[in-house]
Amino acid sequence: MALEEFRADAMRCTRCTYCRWIPFDLIKSDRFAKGCPSMEAGKFHAYSAGGRLVTALSLMDGRSTVTEKTKDSVFKCTLCGQCDVSCKMCRYDMEPLAAMRELRFDLVENGHTLPQLEPVLESLRTEFNMLGKPADERGDWAKTLKVKDLTKEKAEVVFHAGCRYSFDGDLGPVARLSVKILQEAGVDVGIFGEAEHCCGGRAYGMGYRGDLDNSARHNLRAWKAAGVKTVVTPCSDCFHTFKRLYTAEAGSDIEVIHMVQFVDRLVKEGKLKFTKEVPMTVTYHDPCHLGRQGEDYVPWSGTEKKIFGQAVAYDPPKPRYTGAFGVYEPPRDVLKAIPGLKLVEMERNREAAWCCGAGGGAREAYPEFSAATANERIEEAATTGADAIVSACPWCEQNFGDAVEAGAGALKVFDVMALVGMALGIEEEA
Amino acid sequence: MESSRDISRDAYRAIEDIVGADNITDDPAILDSYAFQWLAELVRPERSHYMPRPWAVVMPLTTEEVVAVTKVCNKYHVKVKPISTGWYHWAAPLKDDEPTVQFDLRRMNRILEIDEKNMYAVVESGVICAQLQAEVMKRGLNINIIGAGCSTSIVASASAYFGGGPSSYFLGSNSDNLLGQEWVTPAGEIVRTGSLSSGCGWFCGEGPGPSARAITRGTLGTRGGLGVFTKCAVKLGPWEGPPVLQPTGKPPAYRLPIPDNFRVYTVGTPSFEALAEIYYEIYDNAIGYIFHRQFNLAGADLAAALWLTYLDPNGTMNDVEARSKDPEVQKISEEARVSFQIILQGRSKEDIELQDRILDEIIRRTGCYKVERFCEADFAEFTNMYLQRMGHKHCNFVWVGGYMGSWMQAGTPDFVKGYVKTAIDGFERDQKSGLLVQCGGDAMMGCGSTLGGGGFFALEQFVSYDPNDNASVDACIKHMEDAITDCKANGIPLGKEYLYLQIGWTDERIWDDLSKMPQQFVLNFQRKIKEAFDPNGLGDRNYPWLPEGWGQQKTIAAGSAAVAGVGKP
Repeated sequence: MALEEFRADAMRCTRCTYCRWIPFDLIKSDRFAKGCPSMEAGKFHAYSAGGRLVTALSLMDGRSTVTEKTKDSVFKCTLCGQCDVSCKMCRYDMEPLAAMRELRFDLVENGHTLPQLEPVLESLRTEFNMLGKPADERGDWAKTLKVKDLTKEKAEVVFHAGCRYSFDGDLGPVARLSVKILQEAGVDVGIFGEAEHCCGGRAYGMGYRGDLDNSARHNLRAWKAAGVKTVVTPCSDCFHTFKRLYTAEAGSDIEVIHMVQFVDRLVKEGKLKFTKEVPMTVTYHDPCHLGRQGEDYVPWSGTEKKIFGQAVAYDPPKPRYTGAFGVYEPPRDVLKAIPGLKLVEMERNREAAWCCGAGGGAREAYPEFSAATANERIEEAATTGADAIVSACPWCEQNFGDAVEAGAGALKVFDVMALVGMALGIEEEA
Repeated sequence: MESSRDISRDAYRAIEDIVGADNITDDPAILDSYAFQWLAELVRPERSHYMPRPWAVVMPLTTEEVVAVTKVCNKYHVKVKPISTGWYHWAAPLKDDEPTVQFDLRRMNRILEIDEKNMYAVVESGVICAQLQAEVMKRGLNINIIGAGCSTSIVASASAYFGGGPSSYFLGSNSDNLLGQEWVTPAGEIVRTGSLSSGCGWFCGEGPGPSARAITRGTLGTRGGLGVFTKCAVKLGPWEGPPVLQPTGKPPAYRLPIPDNFRVYTVGTPSFEALAEIYYEIYDNAIGYIFHRQFNLAGADLAAALWLTYLDPNGTMNDVEARSKDPEVQKISEEARVSFQIILQGRSKEDIELQDRILDEIIRRTGCYKVERFCEADFAEFTNMYLQRMGHKHCNFVWVGGYMGSWMQAGTPDFVKGYVKTAIDGFERDQKSGLLVQCGGDAMMGCGSTLGGGGFFALEQFVSYDPNDNASVDACIKHMEDAITDCKANGIPLGKEYLYLQIGWTDERIWDDLSKMPQQFVLNFQRKIKEAFDPNGLGDRNYPWLPEGWGQQKTIAAGSAAVAGVGKP
């Protein structure tokens, strides 16, 4: 795709401002009505999806050139996709999220980059992770596990830990527990250990399409060599990247399952029983990449056509990604199955969830914006009376953890799988 | 393009000192996000989507900041143009050669007070209807949400717009509901109206002394109001539904369960005569909470196909095309061709049952009927959601992103039914080119009333065109001109298309046209208001007035538009 291909989206935007809010039907209070973290930070209309469409148009038409302020308006966004959900409440002919990504690609490819992101990308290119860690430490989390090494053996399923579960000592237990659950369920699973590479999804979100291509090529080649048919990951960023981006950008046909989906399936089939009480009230935060951006990818290639004279349709019919069919219930069902645990909802949930603030390069490039976005979610979680905020993405958890540590509230922060571990009575050491 | 016009940087710095560097910008791309406006292509040279670019955009936080920035504008002769949510070509600067500061009021977003006992709320300009409604419903109260939907500013609709919507039938329009307000004149003075002016609170919009409403009010949204409306109080009405709306289902068509004390119906009528008749009967009998002809915005030929597709989270426009050919759906289209939605709200079981029986009797007596498919639970719950929250109004643009509402002349139901045929015939004629969406000549949508208690009516023709296709844009402009011609030929007052097109006219053309209007003393009176409150001429160009020497100066003319000796001096 090229930016020019989104010209019609821009020309047909009506500046309605729906993209700034959660779907209006779901608004339950003045306090938690807003949907766009970027607008809250940048304030001007250019920080909304609709505004960015105009920016794209303005640049394409030569009405303006890229300034530091323009870059700020384009990149200070978590690409959470809330705008996309709200826009598509009433529109069938616009793809705001895809257009915003394309605008980033365009800027990056024309040299308008953010220096703050350079170290992260350097780490990806040389150490194959987004955390600036040495590549040879990537497999440390699994040293105590007896699991197939897919650099030497074959397996049907690869467990892809992802950068954060691999390098963040606090999250290592979640990754180990996940592998054990897969093994207990009789899954033929293996890992790549230190040979695992970043999925590339976060670089893609930062505007670096080529880096996703490199990661996809490597991972897909490695998986094929190991006979892998399914990838299971506890990371929502990786999940989205494999499920949506690898399919769209690299033609992958590999099955992709998030760990919470797998656990949910085991619980519902009676193959996993929670034996320990976890007396806690928790609220679940939908990660953007598992929720509204976690819908199945449907390949499509076609053209716009006019029906009824001027209405827009597509030949063949174009799949719609509205957030309606994201992965919302499996994590909730897992939590509800845990004895003693009470699940309460935040006002903005599922397709209307407020972002954690970690995505789209925001955490790396704009730490204050990222932290403010996390703080907002922590405040919302606190209003539910929950003891803890739970998620299924390590990036969300890290952003929330940092926010709490910086004084945003007294909530605990958990990964769903950590609570699963408690309910199973399995204590993995960090 | 230059980043700003040739205005002293001192002006920019002066404003920056007031609001802070983060709250003003003259970055060209960001300014373009304000210049780019819906309908611009209908009035701008070369079908441009951009209205004139503001010189700067400023985001004040308080009334005091609005005052201070306005005074800077007066010092440097920069025009002021406020927006709250910013939707319409007239929300942008209007002339290329007039440096204009666009006030984006979204930071002024506080609900200042909800007086449950006295049933009013005080809000700032950036508060949208959905925010306020969510809060007042918790107190058993409701607001009228205007036809443009819940994304709009309450202050804008109450202070500047006439503010009708589906619930105006019961709750009144927002212009009726306006109590005290705070207004910053283009000269930078604060005017507080009604009881607020005496420091007695917000509860009354009138007095002491002459009403200030005639001075502050514009016509439509930012079209016409001078200065900046910063706060207002609006009257609230009773809400007998749940304190928090709890929709179910998946997007886009969320459903709002219908409480036992509510009823939601789509009622079909055999003709527009019958529609007027049943409407008279309904308001004569004082039943109903919401009365609206909503779903016809998609056009009577396609409404059933569109909305039944909309209910399906996987639905696409291709499905609409397929459904439109389905004989079962075509049958529903015919049933719903001249239909409307009504929501009854009861204060008790007995009340709702009585209203229900009355409605049934009215339906029987007028030869109308309930449109069965649209009254089934899924569709009725969707209707309930749509009309209670008005959160789907961007469906106005559902076909292709371009929508121009023509007609919309308000009056009694009998008056409205009188222009419907002309509006339908004209639209059908203009659709034949294939350059407008062919949805049937009747795409007329509108509020059951803009007066609390009913009795008033208006229908707007939803003309959809592709803003990305100049031929389609041209066809829409031609349709607007045709509609004006049709109105004149049939003795019907001009509708919205006239107001839209006027945005692209020169001052002289506007004044020339206004010079031919009746009651020119009004426009001369408004000149005096403008001179008093906007001495430097920095307010909205669209404030309707006539300069001295234009039109009739001294006569209070009644009736005819064709008065000899009027026009350019």
